[in-house]
Amino acid sequence: MKGRADGVKSAALRAASIALLLLLWSVASRLVNDPDVLPGPLEICRIIATDLATVGPEGHSAYFDIGITLARIMIAFVASMLAGIGIGLAMALSAALERVLIAVIPLLLTMPSILMVFLAVMWFGFSEVGGLVAVMAVVTPYVAVNIFQGTKATDKSLIEMGVTFKARTPLLIRKVYLPQLMPYIFSAFRYAFGMTWKVVALAETFGLKYGIGYMFFFWFGQFNMTQVLAWIVIFVVLMLILEHGVFARLERRAFAWRDARRRPSLA
Amino acid sequence: MMSAPTMSEQTARPGASILTAVAVRNLTKTFAAPGAAGRFTVLDAITLSVGEGEFVSIVGPSGCGKSTLLNIIAGIESHESGAVMVGSRAGHAGSQARIGYVFQSPRLLNWLTVQANIEFVLEAQNIPRPRWQELVAKHLALVGLAGQEPNYPLNLSGGMQQRLAIARALAIEPDVLLMDEPFSHLDAITARKMRFDLLDILAKARTTILFVTHDLSEAVFLSDRVYMMSIRPARIFKEVRVDVSRPRRPEDSRILDLEKTLVREFFGALEAK
Repeated sequence: MKGRADGVKSAALRAASIALLLLLWSVASRLVNDPDVLPGPLEICRIIATDLATVGPEGHSAYFDIGITLARIMIAFVASMLAGIGIGLAMALSAALERVLIAVIPLLLTMPSILMVFLAVMWFGFSEVGGLVAVMAVVTPYVAVNIFQGTKATDKSLIEMGVTFKARTPLLIRKVYLPQLMPYIFSAFRYAFGMTWKVVALAETFGLKYGIGYMFFFWFGQFNMTQVLAWIVIFVVLMLILEHGVFARLERRAFAWRDARRRPSLA
Repeated sequence: MMSAPTMSEQTARPGASILTAVAVRNLTKTFAAPGAAGRFTVLDAITLSVGEGEFVSIVGPSGCGKSTLLNIIAGIESHESGAVMVGSRAGHAGSQARIGYVFQSPRLLNWLTVQANIEFVLEAQNIPRPRWQELVAKHLALVGLAGQEPNYPLNLSGGMQQRLAIARALAIEPDVLLMDEPFSHLDAITARKMRFDLLDILAKARTTILFVTHDLSEAVFLSDRVYMMSIRPARIFKEVRVDVSRPRRPEDSRILDLEKTLVREFFGALEAK
């Protein structure tokens, strides 16, 4: 019960913060009083509605750009998660690989992601591959390190319990190893998702054709502040929906057992 | 069943037979001694047996190799020489016999429900799925956790978690139940209650038990027979039958007297070296 009350309270707090931000924005735009510099939130909403309802300047609808960006994010996200999990597990299994990667990964992690985008574009051109490589170069090392740490933290005594009861490897992986890795996978998951959409937006702004980031750049070229802001809002709202609506929900379900103590006992 | 004060030739526990559930002959195990030439003997010519339905304890100081012995019987550790037989089937221990194991700590899978924790070992042991529900319900009821199926282990107290570990081990209907100091992590009051309950559970489940502990009074109270083990060399130096009828009370003078004698002998043997 306490959990639910906390949930309602934090949701109310979040709504209030967003309302406050909108209010500040609205006041600021009144003070600036120039829609080319800072249009108000209502104006932006109107533009978004128009953008969504009409064909854009490039001859296709806003949904096309939104769809392309989402597809790029999902593909890059899944690819870097899989690569990161694979490399992390490989590091856990091979001491030699661990030594090599532990030395190399910090170099990749300190590299600013915008440099990655430039490098990828210079190597692979303005192509989908360039964007994918940029995201993977930024996100994969982080995921790999997280998964590797997860494998280090697995409880050996539980594995021993499973072996004592003659559980075979597939059962051990499913019921003993993976659940222990889940917190690490989820933490990598959230970070990877956050980084992925930022890098995809960057790559779209600087190199790729179509997509939300491309639209930023297009309207930036026209010096159309209202449209730039409109696309930023579209982007942020989409990512918030994905993060809080989808991933947070998945995470809560996966870790229900941890909240056991908070729920009234069935006994 | 508990009230029958009969004492057979073999054991004080009703239902026990002369069939052997566990037999260990001349078992020796050595480890490579770190930093030194030669090997370090963990278990030295251990011979013991457990009759079917019998409750046998091994008492020894920490580090004497009791847990290693249990692991060899469970078939998860190797040994150099000697024979181990479980469940009247010869061969490498644990290859066919069903062996239940209760560890010092419950070692539950906290992300699985109580029911799924038991199902994990049923799946591991290839027990057919249609039997699962019945086995889970029966053994949870046996340890006093009926109705806890959908609950999570973190919701249970330490004592309840160890009961679940016992239910898990019994659910596979083991030929022998190996228990490695299962109450040593509990507070004294809970541990005392658990000992009574364990005897209650066993009266119903009629399982063969090999119980390892460093607590002599625990061993005497619970067991039909007690083996006493020394450290360096890791040998069994005495075997004692506890001829006290069940149900027992821990403050029964026969139990207390036997305990006193054994304590004297035990420390005498350890200090004699």
